[in-house]
Amino acid sequence: MLFPFALITNNSFKTETEYYANGPYSLFKSLNLDALKKVWNLMTYSIKLRNSIVISLSVALLAIGISLLTAFALGIGKVKGKSFFIVFFLMAFLLPQEVLVYPLYYLFKLVGLYDTRLSVIIIISVLYSSFGTYFLSSVFSAFNRELIEAAELDGCNKLQLLFRIIVPLSMPSLSILFVFFFIWSWNEFFIPLIFLVSNDNQTITIAMAMAQDQHGTTVTSQSAAALIGVIPCIIFFVLFQRTLTKGITLGSIK
Amino acid sequence: MKKSLLWIVVMVLSISMVAAFSFAGCKAAAEAAAAVAEETPSDVVGTLKIWDMEVDNAFSASWGFAREEFKAMYPNVTVEYEMKTFEQMEQSGKMFLNSASVPDVMQCCSGLSRAGMYASEGLLTDLTAVAEARGWNDITPPSFQTTCRYNEQGVMGSGNLYGVTNYGDFVMVYYNKDMFTQYGVEVPTSLAELEAVCDKFVAEGIVPITLGGLTGWPIGHVWWELVLYNADRELINNYFLYTGDVDFQGEAFASGAEKLAEWATKGYFDPNVNGISYDDANVAFVQGQTPINITGGWMFGSFLEKITDFDWGIFLMPGKNLNQGSGGDLWVVPEKAKNKDLAYAYIDLTLKEEAQTIMALVGGVPINADLTQITDQKVLDLNAAFSTIVANDGMAFYPDWPVPGYINVLSSNLQELLAGTITPEEFNNAISIPYNEYKESRE
Amino acid sequence: MTHKDYSNNTKIATLKASSSLKKGYMVFLIPGVLLFLLIFVFPLLANVVLSFTRWSGIGTPVWVGFANYMKAISDSNFWASFKNSLLLVIAVTTIPTLIGLLLAGFIFERIIAKFGRGIANFFRGGFYLPQIVPVVVLGIMWRWILQPNWGVLNLSLKAVGLDMLARNWFGSASTALPSIMMMMIWMQIGYPLVIFIAALQRIDPTVYEAADLDGASWLQRYFYITIPLIRPEIFVVVLTTIIYVFKAFGQVYVTTKGGPGQATIVPSYFSYQNFFQRSLVGYGATITTVLTIIIGLVAVGFIRMQTKQEQEG
Repeated sequence: MLFPFALITNNSFKTETEYYANGPYSLFKSLNLDALKKVWNLMTYSIKLRNSIVISLSVALLAIGISLLTAFALGIGKVKGKSFFIVFFLMAFLLPQEVLVYPLYYLFKLVGLYDTRLSVIIIISVLYSSFGTYFLSSVFSAFNRELIEAAELDGCNKLQLLFRIIVPLSMPSLSILFVFFFIWSWNEFFIPLIFLVSNDNQTITIAMAMAQDQHGTTVTSQSAAALIGVIPCIIFFVLFQRTLTKGITLGSIK
Repeated sequence: MKKSLLWIVVMVLSISMVAAFSFAGCKAAAEAAAAVAEETPSDVVGTLKIWDMEVDNAFSASWGFAREEFKAMYPNVTVEYEMKTFEQMEQSGKMFLNSASVPDVMQCCSGLSRAGMYASEGLLTDLTAVAEARGWNDITPPSFQTTCRYNEQGVMGSGNLYGVTNYGDFVMVYYNKDMFTQYGVEVPTSLAELEAVCDKFVAEGIVPITLGGLTGWPIGHVWWELVLYNADRELINNYFLYTGDVDFQGEAFASGAEKLAEWATKGYFDPNVNGISYDDANVAFVQGQTPINITGGWMFGSFLEKITDFDWGIFLMPGKNLNQGSGGDLWVVPEKAKNKDLAYAYIDLTLKEEAQTIMALVGGVPINADLTQITDQKVLDLNAAFSTIVANDGMAFYPDWPVPGYINVLSSNLQELLAGTITPEEFNNAISIPYNEYKESRE
Repeated sequence: MTHKDYSNNTKIATLKASSSLKKGYMVFLIPGVLLFLLIFVFPLLANVVLSFTRWSGIGTPVWVGFANYMKAISDSNFWASFKNSLLLVIAVTTIPTLIGLLLAGFIFERIIAKFGRGIANFFRGGFYLPQIVPVVVLGIMWRWILQPNWGVLNLSLKAVGLDMLARNWFGSASTALPSIMMMMIWMQIGYPLVIFIAALQRIDPTVYEAADLDGASWLQRYFYITIPLIRPEIFVVVLTTIIYVFKAFGQVYVTTKGGPGQATIVPSYFSYQNFFQRSLVGYGATITTVLTIIIGLVAVGFIRMQTKQEQEG
């Protein structure tokens, strides 16, 4: 499972001549940072990293926010036509992204948001809210009705119900969603590629794809680009393990 | 604690919106300021946005030099240079050309499917008058004009001047001199001799021609060369300029496909050719595993740098005058560009002898270089080969130009041809359909 | 915040409170609905309209009626893409879900019990890692692994004497699609695994008491009790995976680009080619419209099934 990652790490530290001479499986001779440095500067990784973080964080929060409100109405409130609404929201998740591009391009150009990170944040958040709504409303539907009735007796209004009771109870689910959304948006490729034109607005994923596409890039550069792109994911992933465990233990205490 | 979650959301949203809008505002102001160009260069204040697709090769060296010269000449102009990939330009090209995020000058592929299409949709500035005034036409060889001019339908060869090319490009045969000597073969002077050379290598258990079929398009270069053996200028004009019908089952195309299929069955390419990437194929050549590599001038600089173990050289596919090649990619100035005068100044610098000579030194094929400065025999050979093509009126361009997206049709069908899953006749039929469809849709 | 005086108006207060929590949720739907109308409904409708036109992306679209649909019917690429997609959906939905179910049960029941949380997390993490990595990187990795001449897979096969199994994985029409399947299955396993493990943790252990008294093995327990209990999660996983695979784009983009020939072309990649490379926006819209309809039908069928289950359960 982990071998491919080892391969990339190995090849990032080689010099080009080493790679050409010995091939991809030989162990690197010394910790040669040339490839990494070159890729870092060429792709202005620090800027791209910042962009990716901003976008992913915003998307995760915004998407959860929207999903929470909508799932609250559907799962707890059980509004009329619940099935219809679920399908309506899920529809967005069904759409292949190519469908969105041309019309949204014209729309965002109109409001001057083409080639901005905000456009990407909005589009992706709304897209993920589709999944979030579906997921959370399923979870909320399964909630014990007695809880809600107890809240009524206590004289809660809906906002209090939402934020004081539902949210803490669904922390495990919300944590999962946060992690999913962050990771998914980090790896989003197509939408950022189309809507982020200026190099300064682009994300890490695009930068890695660029490193791949270029005519003149070498394997060592590609490996280095891939490695740098993967490391933030892995860091986040390690954090994820902790959150998930914490979130789940929290939820089981009722 | 949960309410604060809501507040965080609200804050993030507000901050992002404020940031986005203020950034948009700043950009607009800067561009308005740059629109006013003054007389003397050192007085000019503004920005110049340059986009190109080259890194670590002759072109990036030459153009990087031009950018430095530009900065020295216009100390108060901010040069915003961005490197893009071919794919990025290809897929988002129309979108950003039609928006406020245009560059002032950018590298653009020639041909109807790219520059021609943009020109016909009014996305590029008409450079006819500018070229005349600045003397660009004197520097660019007449045969290059074909790829610089486009008419209202986007067909090249006639109409206004939309692009300026500053180098040449062509497909050639790179070969490993040491391996040739080792196996007692010489540079062939005809197609039959080339095949004999390949047969010799096959007999020795060596794959003669390195080829990466995974992405398909490298196969196109080999194929087109084979088609050219039985083509003439009339066919080329019909194919690229739509001056007449193209017979896809005629001699040129039939023999080209048959020859390619034959080469595959004779074992000239790696049996796993469709699983090998273009990079891998080049590596095999650089490592001295395969003696022959039929590809374009864009790899020349890279080979110059990376091949250290053996002696190598180039020759044109022997026994014909037509050769795949053209003026190189074009500098185009988008219609919506804000700093056109500065763009023209930059183009001037890339055409000047200094920048051009740098290109030659690193292994490119410039059009205005001082070749007396070149000492590397290989580079001289390169430029000489190109001059030969030009002298013979042999420019046969690149086969995917006539139809937007044709490269995919060619790639996938060529892969099948190599694998033997379709016959040459079926191949030619398959590629004729989109071609004719597109041609008809324009009438 | 108004303070309700319960002591005097208990009945009225209760009525008011209960009605305030039973109705009036519609307002919470408003932000979501507005955004969706803007970001999805509008482009979707625009897309359907575009499928009846011929347009290069700039200028005015030209109405051509059903011409694009007629073209699609006679286009072998169109049929090939959907056939490939169907095969991918079947393979990449069933296999990872089944593996995920079994692994989740195994990790939860046996590993946590015997070795504790730490090891369990390590396993879960390892399996989930491919989901975290951008598809671009995975493409690079898998291209290396499946390289026919020096890729790890073929080299390993040769090393253990299984030469004849070595293939031109991505480069041969017969193995290209299975190779993509392999890659996608490897990528997908983590997703159901994580969701199922979380699902297992919300089950009240007391439901197993009866089974334990009867002396059931953990497998029996798992199949007859646990799995029916986590049905909601299974539904979510299956439906979302089906949709995800139908839309798959990146995997083909970073490896085979639809080749060799038509072996790995899929609808989203095919429409991408038409939108951006051939500038046939109308035709691309046709393909995506058909794809959307198919996905829509599958989804509606599923949701109906799920809602019925919820009502019964």
